[in-house]
Amino acid sequence: MYAEPGAGAACADSGVQPGWAAELTLGFARRAAKTVLAHRRQRGPLAVQRPFYPEGAMCHVYLLHPPGGVVAGDRLAIGVTVAADAEALITTPGAGKFYRSTGARACQSVVLKIEENAVLEWLPQEAIIYQGARLTSKVTLELAGTARFIGWDIVVLGRPAAGEGFSSGETLLDWRILRDGKPLFLEKMRLDAKAFAARWGLQGHSCCGTLLACPATAEHLDAVRHLIADAAGQGVTLIDDLLICRCIGDNAEQIKQVFQNFRAAIRLRIVRREDYAPRIWAT
Amino acid sequence: MITDLALLRLLQLVSPGLPIGMYSYSQGLECAVDEAWVSSATDAGEWIEGVLENCVVRVDLPVLARIYDAWVQNDRTAAENWSATLLALRETSELRTEDRQTGQALASLLSAMDMDEARYWQRNANTTLALMFAFAAVRWSIPRPAALEGFLWSWLENQVLAAVKLVPLGQVAGQRLLHELAAKIPGLVAQGLQLNDDEIGGSVFALALSSSRHEMQYSRLFRS
Repeated sequence: MYAEPGAGAACADSGVQPGWAAELTLGFARRAAKTVLAHRRQRGPLAVQRPFYPEGAMCHVYLLHPPGGVVAGDRLAIGVTVAADAEALITTPGAGKFYRSTGARACQSVVLKIEENAVLEWLPQEAIIYQGARLTSKVTLELAGTARFIGWDIVVLGRPAAGEGFSSGETLLDWRILRDGKPLFLEKMRLDAKAFAARWGLQGHSCCGTLLACPATAEHLDAVRHLIADAAGQGVTLIDDLLICRCIGDNAEQIKQVFQNFRAAIRLRIVRREDYAPRIWAT
Repeated sequence: MITDLALLRLLQLVSPGLPIGMYSYSQGLECAVDEAWVSSATDAGEWIEGVLENCVVRVDLPVLARIYDAWVQNDRTAAENWSATLLALRETSELRTEDRQTGQALASLLSAMDMDEARYWQRNANTTLALMFAFAAVRWSIPRPAALEGFLWSWLENQVLAAVKLVPLGQVAGQRLLHELAAKIPGLVAQGLQLNDDEIGGSVFALALSSSRHEMQYSRLFRS
């Protein structure tokens, strides 16, 4: 049975306010030769397309973010459970958009649970935080001891192509990674006008990203360092067996490309599959 | 009120002469200088103030306060859990290693003075500087507000000393910076104490990036 991830709870503190309350719960399970989407519940404008199998047993799913984007007061809750021995990859067909808000904060909560020997790749396309948007994004990753994971978070502040900076608005990005219930990595980052411009923050760059992978070893660390070589704005570290890659840049395409290269270098050992880029990324 | 002896104990605890190797850690500043993100006294002031306000005050300070309270209650489990949380909040391998090594070094030092119980923490993987700093503060009857301010002061002085060596800055410029930033400490302590458990945490992107890049920097003076 699937424990229902309590993804909605993290948004509860936003109180009664206008906007969508959308919820999506997915449960993946291993059935004989392949992984199936054994459980799906959705409410509001969050949905998934029919699962497909471009690389054999692994179940690929496109998550449809609210198509028009997220506005003030919206609360999105996504819960994913990957049961023992199952393998799933989740991505999105396009960027998530978070629009300006004069009042209420939008809130997105994601709870990912990966059971023993299960695999999840969580690879959403970038989140665009429009000038003036107020967003809290929380991702909780609950890993069983032998769980395997590759995931990333790519954020664009303002619309650099439109010459928009980020002089107002605030985003709180929260990652909590627990293994067997104990905190392995906790990150809480506030991105606002000050952090956007500051030399200790994004230094005026409009994009930043974090890629996380486990279980990783010194070999993965070396592979990514080798790819970084002399490139500016990219870094990698290994905390216990969690690999954390960070990248700063001026457009999302650049960061996505860097992360795709990193993923290509580590995927075989972490997910036990050859490199494969979802086709939708190329469209 | 802080007693005369408690004050003297605090001065010993926050002294850069305390042999726990603090002088060998720059917490990403060495790489920030190498990357030319920091190249003057003004830049150094902005960097240090940014890290202080957005990270140290939102991470180390509230955790230190909770560990202090745990030691007052003699609650070793709570103290250790908060210390483990503090490690999980560190963004890179180097920053975690620094916290463990300085914490374990302080445990050895305390056990060689009058705190035999500190020996237990010498090799514990959950030991952090804040864990042992609070332990010493409670045993030496240093009041909580003074311990918290002293901890921030000692962090600040260490960063400024690193900036003096790295940027480099003149000794007077360094002291001016310390004087200016220290004035913010009382206000920042009050701010950090307002955070509830769920609000603890403060990642600073360029710090995480510079610390990651420091791990592969070719030539280094500092261990973080």
